[in-house]
Amino acid sequence: MPRVILTGSIQQHVGGLGAIDVDGDTAGAVMNALEAAYPPLRGWAVDERGMLRRHVKLFLRGSAVGLDAALEHDDELHIVAAISGG
Amino acid sequence: MRELLVGTRKGLFVLRKPSGSSGKGAFEITARAFPGEVVEFAMRDIRSGRYLAGVTHGQFGPHLFYADDPASSWQQAEGPAFPAALNTAVERIWVIEPGVGDGELWCGVAPAALFHSGDGGKTWALVQALWDVPERAQWNPGAGGMCLNSICPWPGDRNRLAVSISAGGVWLTDDGGKSWRRGVKGLVPRYLPEEARHDTHAHCVHHIERVPQQPSTLYMQFHGGVYRSDDAGESWIDIGTDRGLPSDFGFPLAIDVHDPNRAFVIPLTSDMDRVMPGGKVRVYETRDRGGSWCALEEGLPQSQAYLTVLRQAFCTDGASPLGLYFGVQSGEVFGSADGGRSWRTIASRLPPVVAMRCA
Repeated sequence: MPRVILTGSIQQHVGGLGAIDVDGDTAGAVMNALEAAYPPLRGWAVDERGMLRRHVKLFLRGSAVGLDAALEHDDELHIVAAISGG
Repeated sequence: MRELLVGTRKGLFVLRKPSGSSGKGAFEITARAFPGEVVEFAMRDIRSGRYLAGVTHGQFGPHLFYADDPASSWQQAEGPAFPAALNTAVERIWVIEPGVGDGELWCGVAPAALFHSGDGGKTWALVQALWDVPERAQWNPGAGGMCLNSICPWPGDRNRLAVSISAGGVWLTDDGGKSWRRGVKGLVPRYLPEEARHDTHAHCVHHIERVPQQPSTLYMQFHGGVYRSDDAGESWIDIGTDRGLPSDFGFPLAIDVHDPNRAFVIPLTSDMDRVMPGGKVRVYETRDRGGSWCALEEGLPQSQAYLTVLRQAFCTDGASPLGLYFGVQSGEVFGSADGGRSWRTIASRLPPVVAMRCA
């Protein structure tokens, strides 16, 4: 089962966890399953259109990927906040 | 007034007058919430005592929270969020306003839309009829985005509401939001070529306030212009030209809930130079419905003070005499407890102030 690694600032919405095993064969499916398991996470990384927020990145095997990226069962998907702000 | 809720670019600050204070000196910061996040708006619903805040995280977007105590944990509301079928995402929460019905609240967001809550702000639903007005295609965003920035319920009548949009004009409903009509007659968008003004829908309304004791009276700060309506927002009368204001450009506007003839603006030099004219911090007051304006300046910086105040960062406490408070982009908060006659700095060195409300 893929493992999602969450950046610190959104761990508060998943009970303080930094890593969660979530079933799914794409990044989008994993994010949907994660939000279903932790409803307070809804709207944070993915907006109500189902799109990744502009300043949020998903990394898989060292590369930034979109929600359509295919996942293997032993993959780690990192949710990362972009280096932006003021 | 219990406290001041100061939304800043780096969190919410709750300010209170020190206990036993003579009324002079700085307020104390008694709570800070949402550190590092932009608190676009925060208010307390006096009916329930509940605090509500619209907060934008730099990476993770806008969210609405509520709490019974601003110093304790805040709960995340369900919404405001657009239905998935609209393929639109909320960009920013601009204003939260108590309605008339039990637990009723309204929320204005960008892109310009109105949301309704019937349960004290826990859940929110889009007011679809305003989203569906055909004219929406002709609205235009201002520098701050295309926002629904002011919501004016009608005391005692939950069906009547006025809202303002930058830049989309004033919209009125008499049936609780099921149908809407524009209220822009008399507004002159001088920022457009003269030949384009008549047919435009891009009326850049910065702020409107309704007088609770005389609900047919509204005041408006326009993008270049100050106006009053005597017919509940259907039409508007220029009260900003040649009546004592140094400029008719600005963002916030406040009223005296006890006096329909009284309103306050904080002019900025122009839309091309959004600082206080001449480096003087002055609030302007009318006591005759906009017939004339006079400067309120005692205790405010009167030289080398090129400050900027945003549309949600000016509030009153509804007391008598009236308390007035405003915060600026350089992190100072100024207050008056005597209706604007004298002012003092009640906080300084805060992050840039985005919004202020008395609680």
